[in-house]
Amino acid sequence: MIIVMQLRKNSQSRVKSDNYLVFEKYILKNTKAKIGLGIISFFVIVAIFAPIIAPYDPHEINFIPWEKPSLKNILGVNSYGQDIFSQTVHGTRVTISVGILAGLFTSFIGVFVGLLAGYKGGRTGEVLMRIVDVFLVIPNLAIMIVLAAFLPSMGIFNLIIIIGAFSWLWMARSIRSQTLSEARKEYVEAAKVQGMGTIEIMFKEILPNIFPVITANMVMVVTSAMLTEASLSFLGIGDPSLISWGQMLSIAFANSAIIYNAWYWMLPPGLCIATLGYSFMLIGNSFLDIYANDRGGSVEI
Amino acid sequence: MRGINGKYIVKRFISALFTLWIALTVNFLLPRVMGGNPADYLASQSAMGSLEYAEIIKQQFGLDKSIPEQYLIYLKELLHGNLGISFTTFPVPVVKIITQAMPWTLLIVLISTIISFAIAWLLGTLAALKKGSFFDTATVGVSFYIQSTPYFWIGMLIVMGLGYYAGWFPMGHAIPPGIDINAIPWFQKVIFIGYHAFLPILSLAIVNLAGRMIMMRSNVLQVLSEDYITLAQAKGLRRSRILSKYALRNALLPSFTGFMLSMGQAVSGAIATEMIFSYPGIGLTIMNAILSQDYPVIQGCFAIIAVSVVTMNFIADLIYPLIDPRVSLT
Repeated sequence: MIIVMQLRKNSQSRVKSDNYLVFEKYILKNTKAKIGLGIISFFVIVAIFAPIIAPYDPHEINFIPWEKPSLKNILGVNSYGQDIFSQTVHGTRVTISVGILAGLFTSFIGVFVGLLAGYKGGRTGEVLMRIVDVFLVIPNLAIMIVLAAFLPSMGIFNLIIIIGAFSWLWMARSIRSQTLSEARKEYVEAAKVQGMGTIEIMFKEILPNIFPVITANMVMVVTSAMLTEASLSFLGIGDPSLISWGQMLSIAFANSAIIYNAWYWMLPPGLCIATLGYSFMLIGNSFLDIYANDRGGSVEI
Repeated sequence: MRGINGKYIVKRFISALFTLWIALTVNFLLPRVMGGNPADYLASQSAMGSLEYAEIIKQQFGLDKSIPEQYLIYLKELLHGNLGISFTTFPVPVVKIITQAMPWTLLIVLISTIISFAIAWLLGTLAALKKGSFFDTATVGVSFYIQSTPYFWIGMLIVMGLGYYAGWFPMGHAIPPGIDINAIPWFQKVIFIGYHAFLPILSLAIVNLAGRMIMMRSNVLQVLSEDYITLAQAKGLRRSRILSKYALRNALLPSFTGFMLSMGQAVSGAIATEMIFSYPGIGLTIMNAILSQDYPVIQGCFAIIAVSVVTMNFIADLIYPLIDPRVSLT
């Protein structure tokens, strides 16, 4: 990566091919990332074309409750008489968008705080990390539950903000420790000599170099955001009007799907969350492995 | 070994107090920042038309006073161990509700944490020693998959499989309904409690196992790449001796802190599991309190969780330099 960066400084004409080299190393020659991307693309396509794929309206009540899977209802019917397959397909939309939006929001804060604390160091860094440490100790899920309990309403927007606001802490730490080691390298020194400002060095010089770490963090945050959404929905503090996989599990449990033997209601949403989350993790882990190999050692995340 | 000095302890203690103070302040501010005027809200929510009751609640919280005054009263009452009075089961003090629920949570959290750590140490070490083998790939793959499942979903599957289908274990509660736990002999008590706690412990242990196993594996791999292992090999020491004397010991050390930390976090992690098994711990208490909008109980539970997490952290901070002299005392 460093060599790539120096090449970039030497000749602007090679920018494209450098980016291609990085792309090749992290995606094209990386089986894990390709599998992960494949699974994610599948779910994204399902989310986009949900109304076409789903045979019925997910809210519509027009079947006999607790119907077992059949040709008409591939995954059976829930306790209200709604088609479970259609709900699972539509649930993809909510879960993916909450995951990705909350993940982006989290990454935005995490990257900024991490870069600032790592590069600026000194008093600013000390104070920022102290704040991070304090909030890392306070249990996130408990604080989110209490917060949600006092919020007048819990729309998808509030959900994303709450998840994002409490998930950036680990990320900030990880970005900071990477930034600390990057800040000592020559190219940062060179940028300083050239008279670049703090913000410019942070985002134009250091950020591209630790981009794999940021991406790895980001995809893991997406997974954890999806899991948090599921947990909050399951605990009954999500938005009940949304159809998400967590919400489906929540309703299934509340309506005693277990004693109605409705495995076809409980398995699909859980498997979907796990598979989608796993594919994000695959990408993140393989990125970290490559990055660590480049630097000849392990990277703390 | 350098041990720990007084300055380090004081520093850690102040930092723990500071964290606790922040947590409790957040706990105080949340309802006051969010729901408009909490005085009217709390009183109208729970007064049920009774003026006298509304008056009691207002006085109890000092809701007629200014926010800074309320804050001082809140901190003072907390110091005296007074968490207020529950709305729904008036006039039972919140402290009493929590002290009844806490032992159940501690029971399942403590045992599941110990079990998952023991198995994670074993599996993680084996996987690291046979890096690249089928066993390694399989355990790591499965662990990552389990890590991406919602942990309450695992609980649901376990209730369904072992509780409902197989019928081996009860599907909920900590003791059989309708039995007075104090009226039966102690060995029967232990059997009843263990029988009911089995599934919650199993589901918590499985979920926690995954993450810890991955952590333990990377700890071992890290230690195996250190210079002193290479030196030990160069000296011609036997592999078993290198492992037992150098590698595994040093790989175990960092996970002790992890153990203490996860004990604290696990209390809040057990919330959904307790809900699934209708297990009468802190998690179920907090969820019931949210359903019935019993704000003093919600805040009380959060305060207890915060105190236990901060305490565990503090203990971990004190133990860590004792068992691992490499850690810097700052």
